[in-house]
Amino acid sequence: MTEVSIERLTKTFGGARAVDGISIRIADGEFISLLGPSGCGKTTTLKMIAGFEEASEGAIRFDGKDVVNVPAEKRDIGMVFQNYALFPHMTVVQNLAFGLEMRKIAKPEMLSRIAEVLDMVQLGGYSDRYPNQLSGGQQQRVALARALVIEPKILLLDEPLANLDAKLREEMRVFIRDLQRRVGITTVYVTHDQAEAMTMSDRVVVMFGGRIAQIGAPSDIYERPENLEVAQFVGQVNLVKGTILGGTITGAAGPGKSRVASVFGEVAVDSRTDHAPGAAVTLSLRPEAIELKTASQGGAQGKVTARYYSGSIIDYRIALDSGETLHVQTFPNIRIAEGDRVSVHAPADGFWLLGAAK
Amino acid sequence: MKRPVLTLYCLLVYAFLLAPILVVVGASFNAGNFLTFPPQGLSLRWYVTFFHNDVFMRAIRTSLWVAAMATVISGTIGTMAALYYVQHAGRWKEAVRIAMLAPLLLPEVLTAIALLFFVYAVGIGTTTMIGMVAGHVLITLPFVFINVSASLESFDPSWDMAARSLGADRLTRFRRIMLPLIKPGVIGGALFAFIISFDTFTISFMLKGIGTSTLPIQLFDYLRTNFTPEAAAVSTVSIVLTLVVVIVSEKVLGLRIHRF
Repeated sequence: MTEVSIERLTKTFGGARAVDGISIRIADGEFISLLGPSGCGKTTTLKMIAGFEEASEGAIRFDGKDVVNVPAEKRDIGMVFQNYALFPHMTVVQNLAFGLEMRKIAKPEMLSRIAEVLDMVQLGGYSDRYPNQLSGGQQQRVALARALVIEPKILLLDEPLANLDAKLREEMRVFIRDLQRRVGITTVYVTHDQAEAMTMSDRVVVMFGGRIAQIGAPSDIYERPENLEVAQFVGQVNLVKGTILGGTITGAAGPGKSRVASVFGEVAVDSRTDHAPGAAVTLSLRPEAIELKTASQGGAQGKVTARYYSGSIIDYRIALDSGETLHVQTFPNIRIAEGDRVSVHAPADGFWLLGAAK
Repeated sequence: MKRPVLTLYCLLVYAFLLAPILVVVGASFNAGNFLTFPPQGLSLRWYVTFFHNDVFMRAIRTSLWVAAMATVISGTIGTMAALYYVQHAGRWKEAVRIAMLAPLLLPEVLTAIALLFFVYAVGIGTTTMIGMVAGHVLITLPFVFINVSASLESFDPSWDMAARSLGADRLTRFRRIMLPLIKPGVIGGALFAFIISFDTFTISFMLKGIGTSTLPIQLFDYLRTNFTPEAAAVSTVSIVLTLVVVIVSEKVLGLRIHRF
């Protein structure tokens, strides 16, 4: 299998830098997501790895070998597209056989490999169907099978679930992830859906404006976002203003933390960046880290302005007496109604000190 | 039949347009000596006369040959032009389109005269059929171009990318992926080319070789001095020939469009 190393990769269109000197090392068998809003350069990056776009600068190495000058058809990649891109004039088997024919695989081996892969994507009985006789989910599974049957070095997926409905999308996330683990193939997955990136990936690469904002495990990205932009893109977040207090923190709270004064009192907050005492900073506070209690039980005081019930959780909007608005998510077993006054508690480890946006 | 008046109106328009053709077909089975309708008795005698008429037979062979040549050449050039237009023309796209459609916009007689001057100026002349075939290619090209570029517009570039990722080189991708998927457009365009070439008068009239003649010209010549049902028989045969070409290509090559 294959280790991929991207070094200072750049793509310019006219004068604009769509991808601006990014470097990523992808381990053998790793599942990596490129996550970002549209126009952040994630698809261009994927196309450069595939060979559909020429790199303006930088290197792409598969197992140490630079492939920048290797045409797409010789890179030995498996690619899955958003619109499936199945050949409409070929049956499922013919679609799968295409790549094997290009590799001049003998017929008996070809058929056994196709049967094996179709089995893997649970489409055993669909060999002779045409793509237009399949549902969207089935088509995407055929596309996956077609990419995998050639046993490529790397699997590349470009928003493969974007055209599916919500329920199917969730099923397919798990399906693709399980399949990838079983095959053990190095995978690069492009998406703008943070939930998708987080549930599927070993590591997530968050991109903005052609640059990498943060690379890390999903929990890293979510719990310890590099900056405001990342925090806001990856899930819901409350921003709490604070001021850095001087003095060192001792005991269990330990080093690497800063003391910050905010509406929630004085908290010892994790951070990656150093700030001088007195500096104005922004803390992130995830909605599900906040605990609501009935009024006058300590903590910050506020009033429920809105309540949205969505089954597994309830969303609250809280107006704090200090003027700030909070977004809170709790399990439905707490019954607090719109208009109620509440005490808002936030544990110290729910906060994270954000670095300034680059 | 929700709107009886509209339906009736449409039927009348079609009847008005198609009736003359039916009349010609009917008149061709005339037993009498003049082109009249209704026919005076039924007979195939004018077909016999037609098939024994060397001049007409030579003309129909010329027409078929020129139409076949024009179809192949214009099918090839038109497809290549459409490929360039859709995939590579970039900011020249509109200019390319107008240039390709120009033969449709110019009066055919003008094109014909210009071509006539041209073939003499470059020394080709009209002793061979080169000039006439070139003229037919010119006027049929827009039809191939329009049909093929329409089917190329619905060709999803990711099909090509998928084939590339699977290891197919340029030629294989064209042969195995693109051509089968744009085939209805190519065949449709080629059919148009064949029918238009077979039917055209002006271009052939100007550019025909000395002593040769296509079927429409021969028919026109014939009608200047004769008014027998043989003319109707000629027309009927050319209608049937056209229909046969359409039906055979539909059955053999497939005009049906893949539904995606």
